[in-house]
Amino acid sequence: MAKKGWDEFEIGAMLRTFDGKIDDIAGTQQEDRAYSQSSSYTASVADWRLIKPIFNKDYCIDCQFCWIYCPDVSIIARDKKLIGVDMDHCKGCGICVEVCPTNPKSLLMFPEQADEETEIASWPKKDEKEE
Amino acid sequence: MAFDKMELRDIEVWDGNFAAAQAMRQCQIDVVAAYPITPSTPIVEGYAQFLADGYVEGEFVMVESEHAAMSGCIGAAAAGGRVATATSSQGFALMVETLYQASGMRLPIVLNVVNRALAAPLNVNGDHSDMYLGRDSGWIQLDAYCPQDAYDLNFIAFKVSEDHEVRLPCMVHQDGFMTSHTAQGVHTLDDDTAYGFVGDYKPMNDMLDFEHPVTHGVQTEEDWHFEHKARQHNDLMTKVMPKIQAAFDGFEKLSGRKYNIVEKYDMDDADVCVVCMGTSVETAREVATEMRKEGIKAGVVGIRVIRPFPFFQIAEALKDVKAIATLDRSSPNGAPGMLFNEIAGSLYNTPNRALLSGYVYGLGGRDLTKAHLVSLFKELQVNVDAGKVTTQLQQFIGVRGPKLAYL
Amino acid sequence: MSEMKNIKNLKEFSTSADRFEGANLLCPGCAHSIIVREVLNATNDDLILSASTGCLEVCTAVYPYTSWDASWIHIGFENGSTAVAGAESMYKALKKKGRLKQPDRNPKFVSFAGDGASYDIGFQWISGCMERGHNIMHVVLDNEVYANTGGQRSSSTPIGSSATTSPAGRVSYGEKKNKKDMISIMAAHGIPYAAQVAPNKWKDMVKKIQHGFSVDGPVFINAISPCTTEWKFDPKDTMHITDLSTDSLVFPLYEIIDGRELNITYRPKNVIPVEEYLAAQGRFKHLFKDEYKYLIKEWQERVDSNWAYLQRREESRV
Repeated sequence: MAKKGWDEFEIGAMLRTFDGKIDDIAGTQQEDRAYSQSSSYTASVADWRLIKPIFNKDYCIDCQFCWIYCPDVSIIARDKKLIGVDMDHCKGCGICVEVCPTNPKSLLMFPEQADEETEIASWPKKDEKEE
Repeated sequence: MAFDKMELRDIEVWDGNFAAAQAMRQCQIDVVAAYPITPSTPIVEGYAQFLADGYVEGEFVMVESEHAAMSGCIGAAAAGGRVATATSSQGFALMVETLYQASGMRLPIVLNVVNRALAAPLNVNGDHSDMYLGRDSGWIQLDAYCPQDAYDLNFIAFKVSEDHEVRLPCMVHQDGFMTSHTAQGVHTLDDDTAYGFVGDYKPMNDMLDFEHPVTHGVQTEEDWHFEHKARQHNDLMTKVMPKIQAAFDGFEKLSGRKYNIVEKYDMDDADVCVVCMGTSVETAREVATEMRKEGIKAGVVGIRVIRPFPFFQIAEALKDVKAIATLDRSSPNGAPGMLFNEIAGSLYNTPNRALLSGYVYGLGGRDLTKAHLVSLFKELQVNVDAGKVTTQLQQFIGVRGPKLAYL
Repeated sequence: MSEMKNIKNLKEFSTSADRFEGANLLCPGCAHSIIVREVLNATNDDLILSASTGCLEVCTAVYPYTSWDASWIHIGFENGSTAVAGAESMYKALKKKGRLKQPDRNPKFVSFAGDGASYDIGFQWISGCMERGHNIMHVVLDNEVYANTGGQRSSSTPIGSSATTSPAGRVSYGEKKNKKDMISIMAAHGIPYAAQVAPNKWKDMVKKIQHGFSVDGPVFINAISPCTTEWKFDPKDTMHITDLSTDSLVFPLYEIIDGRELNITYRPKNVIPVEEYLAAQGRFKHLFKDEYKYLIKEWQERVDSNWAYLQRREESRV
């Protein structure tokens, strides 16, 4: 956000999350909300990441462990299905990969520069050592 | 609404505490979060009794410390409603952290401060140490000299503080015991007139508006903090005084009682004057009148609005006077005294380079007697005649032991 | 009373629309936001929130950004509970006076604070709020250390942990005092509900939060919040460490109803040795030196004894 002068912002350093009125926040998904520029939803921490998760939907069972344990609201689940990872908000902690129960895992960490299509094409096979 | 109005006589005999409590009742406060401390306790006791008797409707939260009292007031004010409390001295000191937070968050809370000394040593009586402690906290500070003022200034406080162009908290000060526990005749307003003057609370940035969520109490670092503090200072410097004046004007029309940002008594032709606050103003007025019979043209200036400081109004009030005594009722602890400094600052760039001397008096409830003021006025006249300050610039009056004077 | 949100399973839970946002400044792998999400998503009702000064607060409301989608307030380090209690009082006042803008809502009032802000500096404020019966929930994000200021010990820091003000050194094994039993103290206020929760046991957590929201009066929730930075483990391992804490019974999950009735809510199928929990974290690394190994034994004995005590209380319904 642009650095404003002292006479250009709301008093009391008060911030509003949304532009205008919002009726039912808990019933409105992120994509349908009118976030203001003051919501961190509009910001990005992508540059924090050294490694990133790549999601391979072929193996996903939609258990939603990654959704519940993601500290950064970055696992996008809609209608009980995992859709993908919000790469503006993911900090690359890798929790989603650790809690993923499938074999092979449906989420794996790769260097930030890795190409998604290439990595999915060469996704590891089922690990036979695991039960 | 589910509460009863109270029939008041035109003149009631109230002390300052009960006068403040009655004003709070008439303003129909939504939340009072409070903690008892002498001598302000009867204000919130009074409010609690009004609640118990069905004369107000709201929440009275008896918390576990003054810090929590102001914290609760901040939460309640941010939620969106009329909020007030009262405190004194040590309790005020404990509140200090939250005072800055209330003003920084621009929450219109009214705090009745019944002025009392600060320990150590412990003392329950009136001086202005707590009032002075609050002077950089970003609050508006109004000073009552008697129970009538304590009553009236509460209405002014809500009116100004809650104005959407102001949104700054406001303290109403009165002297511990001398005002708070001294019953005098107080001209009242009926409930409807009083409430009508203050008006309904108009919410702003209220947390309880679920359709417009707000975040209060953010962190700002070096890239934003200065701008926010500058904004707050700007609004105190430019927006508050006109609103106070407008409220005083409106209140005069309603009640016939006239308040001024700086109160002047016999200042039109005064050669010498004292500048003071609280109950001392009335004592000084009485003595000044007597001094005139002795040929000393004495006047008195009372500060009604301490913050924002009435810089130009003071300079105007003092423009023709030849010698000025500032009376600070708080130990400056290593400096000349708040009033001395502020008034020196107000006058420094004006043509009138009056002779300015400072006096420290009345600590811990020590009386300021008429005799003290008589000799003070005479001392000022000596200065006028000599064309210079003949004493040291800072003197203690009314303290036992060898004379204390500095600077 | 509003309808309780129906959360039968995780798939159903995942349809929740979060009211906490990413691009906050919490460390990667921080458990705080996992806990916050589980608490907020446990209800669809409106929320009035506060945070006391600490990691959560300084990372979610740094001007000009907020990560909160519900009204939120921060005042100071010690008074987040009282801030939300003040807001709750105003809600009650305006409800009585018919001045709520949206009178049909059933807001929940939640105060978040760290262990420092709850066990130490905010202790009195929380006690006041609990005693006065405000309809609020205080949630402790218990990472057993002052993480925001760089890892100083709090009264929640356990024995043998190396904190910056009780560091392990040539002649010291670190923190000398045992963790304060905050939940017993809070339950002793006679509040309707007090519970320990852990983010790994999300179902237990949601059940407790929902129960907390359903009771009339103050609720105290103590949530274990493993701190990747101060406990010294890899950010990816947050849930693993949480599992070790609950399954070693270092952090048992239970609830106390009306200050009198204790129920254990999670019994691990395979109880893990405390040593495994300690070994997974850098803050306990020094305990594995020969001279301090007795402390690991003492740790195990303490955990066993506490578990036995909780079971006795549960069995005897006290």
